[in-house]
Amino acid sequence: MSNRITPVGTVASPGVEDAPAAAPSLRITSVSKRFGAVQAIADVSLEVRPGEVHALLGENGAGKSTLMNVASGSIVPDEGTVEIGGVALTAGSPIAAQERGLAIVRQHPALMPDLTVAENMAVALPGRLGTGARTAQDEMRRHLARARCQADLGDRVEDLTVAQRQLLELAKALAQDPTVLVLDEPTAPLGRDAAAELLELVRELAAQGTAIVYISHRLPEVREIADRATVMRDGTVRATAGMDELTDDQILELIVGRSIEATFPDKRPPGGDEEPVLSLAGFSGPGFADVDLRIAPGEIVGLAGIAGNGQAELLRALAGLERSAGVVRLNGREIKLGHERRARAAGIAYLPSDRHEEGLMMSLSVRENASVSSLSRFARGGVMRPAAERRAVTEQRDALRIRTGSLETPVSALSGGNQQKVVLARAMLSQPTLILADEPTQGVDAGARMEIYRILREAAASGIPVLVVSSDSIELEGLCDRIVVFSRGQVVRELSGDDVTEEAMARAIVTATSIRRADDEHDDGPGRLAAVRRFASSDYGPAVILVAVILLLGAYTFNDNSRVLSSFNVTSMLTLLSVLIFISFGQLLVIMTGGIDLSVGPLAGFLVVVASFFVVDGKGAGVMIAGFALMIVIAVLVGLVNGSLIRFGGFTPIAATLATYIALQGLSQLLRPEQGGYISSGVTDAIQTDVGGIPVAFLVAVAVAIVLEHGLRRRRWGLRLRAAGSREEAAHAVGVPVRRTVILAYVGAALMTCAGAVLLMAQLGIGDASQGTSYTLSCITAVVLGGASLFGGRGSFIGVLLGAFLIQQITNATTFLGLSQAWQYWAVGLLALLAAGLYTQVRRGRRRAW
Amino acid sequence: MNEHATTTATPPESPAPSSRPRRPWAGGRPAWVVIALATVALFAISVAFQPDSVRSSVLQGMLPFAAVLAIAAMGQTLVIQQRGIDLSVPGIMSLVVVLVTHGPNGDGGKLFTAILLAFAVAAATGLLSGLLITRLGITPIVTTLGVNALLLGAIVQISKGSPTTTTEALHGFANGHVLGIPTTIVIAALVMLGVSFVIKRTTVGRRYEAVGASAAAARAAGIDPLRYQLAAYVGASVLYCCAAILLAGVVTTPSITSGDTYLLPTVAAVVLGGTSLLGGVGSVAATAVAALFLTQLDQFVLATGASSAVQNLVQAVALAVGIGVYSVNWPAVAARLGALGDRGRGATAAGSG
Repeated sequence: MSNRITPVGTVASPGVEDAPAAAPSLRITSVSKRFGAVQAIADVSLEVRPGEVHALLGENGAGKSTLMNVASGSIVPDEGTVEIGGVALTAGSPIAAQERGLAIVRQHPALMPDLTVAENMAVALPGRLGTGARTAQDEMRRHLARARCQADLGDRVEDLTVAQRQLLELAKALAQDPTVLVLDEPTAPLGRDAAAELLELVRELAAQGTAIVYISHRLPEVREIADRATVMRDGTVRATAGMDELTDDQILELIVGRSIEATFPDKRPPGGDEEPVLSLAGFSGPGFADVDLRIAPGEIVGLAGIAGNGQAELLRALAGLERSAGVVRLNGREIKLGHERRARAAGIAYLPSDRHEEGLMMSLSVRENASVSSLSRFARGGVMRPAAERRAVTEQRDALRIRTGSLETPVSALSGGNQQKVVLARAMLSQPTLILADEPTQGVDAGARMEIYRILREAAASGIPVLVVSSDSIELEGLCDRIVVFSRGQVVRELSGDDVTEEAMARAIVTATSIRRADDEHDDGPGRLAAVRRFASSDYGPAVILVAVILLLGAYTFNDNSRVLSSFNVTSMLTLLSVLIFISFGQLLVIMTGGIDLSVGPLAGFLVVVASFFVVDGKGAGVMIAGFALMIVIAVLVGLVNGSLIRFGGFTPIAATLATYIALQGLSQLLRPEQGGYISSGVTDAIQTDVGGIPVAFLVAVAVAIVLEHGLRRRRWGLRLRAAGSREEAAHAVGVPVRRTVILAYVGAALMTCAGAVLLMAQLGIGDASQGTSYTLSCITAVVLGGASLFGGRGSFIGVLLGAFLIQQITNATTFLGLSQAWQYWAVGLLALLAAGLYTQVRRGRRRAW
Repeated sequence: MNEHATTTATPPESPAPSSRPRRPWAGGRPAWVVIALATVALFAISVAFQPDSVRSSVLQGMLPFAAVLAIAAMGQTLVIQQRGIDLSVPGIMSLVVVLVTHGPNGDGGKLFTAILLAFAVAAATGLLSGLLITRLGITPIVTTLGVNALLLGAIVQISKGSPTTTTEALHGFANGHVLGIPTTIVIAALVMLGVSFVIKRTTVGRRYEAVGASAAAARAAGIDPLRYQLAAYVGASVLYCCAAILLAGVVTTPSITSGDTYLLPTVAAVVLGGTSLLGGVGSVAATAVAALFLTQLDQFVLATGASSAVQNLVQAVALAVGIGVYSVNWPAVAARLGALGDRGRGATAAGSG
């Protein structure tokens, strides 16, 4: 600890410098940032020196994350400057901050679930891992080991526990060899031992001279690790001081500040021992465990804690939106949750925190939103009685004082406060027995806030208890009769009566020592099934399954009719197959990004039509070459049009490629209303040459598959393609040019289709507008059979090759087995549905919440 | 009176990028007006420039096809409104045509049974697609493409590849008139009123619409979105069946692939009717008007002497324009075009914007 800094600064005088100390690694000077009407941070200065662990403390919304986003370049401040290692950060670019040596470990890691640990590291750290696969892997292992991450390089990230993901994110930061390391609540997902090891690592890094910003809500942890601390409140710095200058109580006071009197409705007078309306025993679910809770009629109970410690999750589980276990009694009767309709039927009304996504149907009217949970009340025999509905909604509008032009106004036109009152009106109209309110006043103006408090209090007074989750402690203090404090998914404190104060809540939160339950371990079900699942959802599982099916079908067909292996049949089948393979490769490129290209079939047909004007007997070589060049140019253009409509025009992939589908079909018909233009036989023969009965085209297809497969796993384009499809936000955050990648995928698809079209041209031998379109369905089927995920991020060219093979083999087999032509359709349709169903099922459940 | 709200107004911890631009003007009602006006304008232009395309006999020939497309497109609306897409339109329509022509094989007495069978098969198909999508979680595209392939197989199997002449009874019915109005149009209008009534005026329809507007919000309000999404596929298939039965009557000898030409126009009609392919509020009435618009547009193009190839191009353009008008977030596009100047920053700003 060569560089331990003597504590400096006095309370409420941030940024005072102690002269002889080393130049700060991170210097933030007078930074301000405003979001709309909200001043997120104002005139904030902060200095972190080499070798120092600097804690950043404050409540929800104090401005810590905004400040760190400014430091890491992802937010451009309105005023002020950021210097990293003495160099000013310009333009606010995350990449620039990274290059200057700042690494940040966020609470929500920027990882791509479909990529492996090694791939996630490689994509995020281009050019930092040495050259050569071996060196790079050694480097990665070293960083993982330093971060105490137990994941293997080959593990897929979606299979990692939350804790391991967090440590992987840390390893990525370590690999950047940072001079400034920002850790945002790094121990939150970790168990006791892992947390201790992480603190040890932080100490180690500091000893080596790294400047560390440590954001945490936990005082014991901060005491253990930090040299100095900066406390923020309401977007400003309240103090910067050495840890040994501050007592816990002083820090608490700085975090909470003076309490501000506000107008809240009167609380419930202390009641007797009524029967609880709701009682929970051993209630557990995703994000919280073993909660016991009783709520009496007329009570408003607040769930306090730092966001993400299980409070909101508990509400969601009670609303039936998440699975849960334990005993839930409502008015003495045990009820089963786990489904939204059951919760609704039991009389539980839920007010979500995200009004735009979950609270309201934004495109519907005030009336439609308010009555949606209570429609049956206004209906006779299933038919609505509009008058009754309007009367009831009007009543609620008046009672809750919803300011709206009319009941038919779309809710999106209302102010935040009035929107929230519409959600409340819905709850009241449903005549609930219990109200669950998640952040009921978030984004609501002052006046409406007071009214919402009044409405909730009146509801409680009428006997309907209210359970409130809020990150605003003053709100909880003013509104609630009782407070339950959560930390790491467990209840750590219960406050009632005069103890319901902001300070008591803050104390309970910062002194909590609870540790997350190790309920995070992955459960794949019992042994053998788990193995099957793992196998089928691996990258090459589908390929192995396909090979088995192909061999079985081949053996069966051969047994029935040995001519299936005649050299004539083999050659012609492989020739037909090659067309499908190339077009399917194109489709895979697009599906990897989570898109789809319906236009590949008509494009193949159109390119053949174009060729039928140039590549015909009697034209010179120059004209033919021009024809091939034109095919390529057209393909590139079509790809660009598709990609641009999707990425710039806001078209869905289906809409964009459907439009090009129709247009290309029209163009083909326009150019070749009748069949015509015989393709030069010389060219056709050249394209269809074979070596010992195996068409050269097929050999090329196999070679292309191998090259592309390698690129997909090892080259930068492959990683970027899969990253963009796996999780776009994360890919963007680690510097993948998502838009360009996706557009290029559509261009690549068109070029692959062009290659297929050249083979198709040789096969058809004539320009025919009616050909080609059927490839759209069969190539999607091939991709699905090959095990690609239609949500993007997953797939394999080898799998697609085999998928295409199977389709062609089935078409071929039907003739040899003497089956009717219908079987060609049935087999392909059934295979597509079976494969998609199987892969979807094995992947479901493995995928964790992201 | 209240100070605290201003001092503790919780600023967002990070400026959460708004997930999707909100376009209140792209709701159901303006779309109705847009497509209705466009249709009126198209007829006015037809009268002015191609009077041949609006002669009574031509209209009498066009309207039944408009009715068929309208009914099928209303089915597609039901699915797209729930964020799905139905690519099995060709399979269902062709199969129904085959069932009601090959089944009776010219014998009007067997027509009724054949129609009942057709409805049962269509509903079962919709149920299958719906179950695969909602219960197994297969994407709508793959499911309906796969189911379509199964249906094509059934068509080949039943028809043995050749079309059959329709029954006299069905032909007479479909080409008849009620009070001077083609029966097909009357039926399309009744279907439109019926479906609109169910959606707007019944509890089931209202919940269905809520799920379409936002499945997440519907869930939070205690509605099970999966049931309504499943119902959409069944309802849609029944409507395709209605459309195909009429089609089998209108045409004397319907081809066994008559459904093929209906997939793209149904999607185009939905889009032109103002329903976003991303789901949300839709209007079957607007879709029906859009179907009339598209059919007349075809007539108009034909009357100019252009080939049917040009019809395809016109449809593609109509589809693109439809999406352009309703779905593209024009202010954002304008902003983006304006920002193209400094590209260096564009790349990083895109994440938060």
